[in-house]
Amino acid sequence: MRLLTKYNRINLITTVVVMLFTGIIYYQAVSIILTNQVDKDLVVEENEIFEHVRLNHNLPEVYKSDDQQITFSKTIDSVYRRFIDTTFINQEEKEAESGRGLISSVRANNINYQILIVESKVETEYLIRIIFSITIAVILLLVVSLFIINRLTINRLWKPFYVILANLRTFSITDKKGITSVSSNTDEFNELNSTIAAMSSKAKNDYQDLKAFTENASHELLTPIAVINSKLDTLLQTDEFSEPQSKLLGDLYESVSRLTRLNRSMLLLVKIENNLINDDQLANVKEVIETTLAQFSEIYTDKNITVSVHLADKLIRISKSLLEVLLNNLLSNAIRHNQEHGFIDIVLNRHQLVIKNTGKNPALNGDDIFKRFNKSSHSEGTGLGLTISKQICENYGLDLSYTYNDPYHIMTISFKD
Amino acid sequence: MKLLIVEDEQGLRESMQEYFTEAGNICETAADYESAMSKVNMYRYDCILLDINLPGGNGISILKNLKANHHSDGILIISAKNSLDDRLEGLDLGADDYLVKPFHLSELRARVMAIIRRKSYNGNNLMTFNEIEIDLQAKGVNVGKTAVKLTRKEFALLLYFIANKGKVVSKNAIAEHLWGDEFDMADNFDFIYSHIKNLRKKLVEAGSNDYIHAAYGMGYKFSD
Repeated sequence: MRLLTKYNRINLITTVVVMLFTGIIYYQAVSIILTNQVDKDLVVEENEIFEHVRLNHNLPEVYKSDDQQITFSKTIDSVYRRFIDTTFINQEEKEAESGRGLISSVRANNINYQILIVESKVETEYLIRIIFSITIAVILLLVVSLFIINRLTINRLWKPFYVILANLRTFSITDKKGITSVSSNTDEFNELNSTIAAMSSKAKNDYQDLKAFTENASHELLTPIAVINSKLDTLLQTDEFSEPQSKLLGDLYESVSRLTRLNRSMLLLVKIENNLINDDQLANVKEVIETTLAQFSEIYTDKNITVSVHLADKLIRISKSLLEVLLNNLLSNAIRHNQEHGFIDIVLNRHQLVIKNTGKNPALNGDDIFKRFNKSSHSEGTGLGLTISKQICENYGLDLSYTYNDPYHIMTISFKD
Repeated sequence: MKLLIVEDEQGLRESMQEYFTEAGNICETAADYESAMSKVNMYRYDCILLDINLPGGNGISILKNLKANHHSDGILIISAKNSLDDRLEGLDLGADDYLVKPFHLSELRARVMAIIRRKSYNGNNLMTFNEIEIDLQAKGVNVGKTAVKLTRKEFALLLYFIANKGKVVSKNAIAEHLWGDEFDMADNFDFIYSHIKNLRKKLVEAGSNDYIHAAYGMGYKFSD
């Protein structure tokens, strides 16, 4: 639920409840006051009767009145003086109206009379009704205006918040630009904005430091690796070697060459992530696939792998060297992780490139394989090949995905148009 | 042939010097910008192996200086930066080739030999090794009068061997030279073996001596 909706709901419910409550109290108070007023009239009338009886020793004439009726009746019992709510029969309109009565007693000519004075409460109730309607109207007006004002002001008040939110949503740690500042005259939002700006720039700095470290470390490693490599090449020239010695040397060579590849991959990845390779041009994917396959032909032939290709021309705007790296990685994976007498099936059309290969591994986790240094246990690779491929695809808006359809591992690159 | 190795890393410099030192070669070294600059201003070399990052200056300035003075020394840039811009800048400024650290000495030597060949043969595309005659332009090989039909990779392999004659060349170096360093072939060197076997067979069948010798299971040596 949105903040505004939530706030409005609470606000409106509270307003209505409070208003109804005050309305009821108001109604009660007004009706008590007005009833008191009527009661006073009744008492005045009673006193007039008493006065009349005291002076004249008989009952006064009862004359008709629009809003008051007095009746006398003989009684032997003592009468308990009290006010009652009763009905008032309007003589003119022959209608029963609500009324207020006073029962009292008087003694005239040694006869006890019960006096009943009834006064119509129509006027009073009319007044109450008007007061109540006005109250209800005020409540409604208040609720509506509160709703509208809340809507307008709160939307306006929270606007900086939504701008900050939108900024956060588009924030990318790899991006060059930071969080744009939002000017607001609300202290809370200014604080929020500056905190977020500080946090994002710190995250960016940390990320840059980390990246710089990776890059520098990889660079610094290059020289010692180059020295080891050259020393090994030199050592190879020195003498005759025994079988165990040459086995050792072979292992050394292999490790150094893996180290070299790993190092190069790390440097390449940093470069791609930083978007430092900007030699975009129109490249024909088909041609690059054909060149790469030709390059690897001896290797897959040696493994007795059957390669079938169905390629259509497909031009995309990309750095040619990165396209080569991408296809090199995908195709060499398809060859390396394949089995003897396996199959590779490559289909390129306008929409996608699909590389299918049989392989030693069971289905792989489609999310994990693109993570750094994620590789099958017996793989001799660097564990960066697919990460690099994914990053290249991301940079150029291509979608690289993995699926498994027994017995094929399937890599699909979807072109954007 | 006369070479100058400009490299600040002692270990690497010594290895390179040792690898190139043999009868008929003069191989000088410079460890920093100053000494490199004074050497290139005093002497001429067939090929200069130039590191970019040097104490006291940048190798690119040395390259610019050479070109400004119209010296025709062959120049091979050795850099730790595998950046396309650096590569293009170096080649644009007139360097003959560009090699990224780390590299195999045999690869370095093949590149240097190619540069020297281009510089010194001047339009003459024929290269001979004993009875083997190679036409670099037409990519053809003759043993005496017999033409040998080689595949593209076998031809590259033969050139690589001749450039490194008398040296043991590791299988890793051969694989990287022929298939590029991107492809990870650590689990399988059999296809290299079959390539070398084919090349050897073709040469011997054409009447050549058998120059290719296996060396301790780690590599091969091309020698008399």
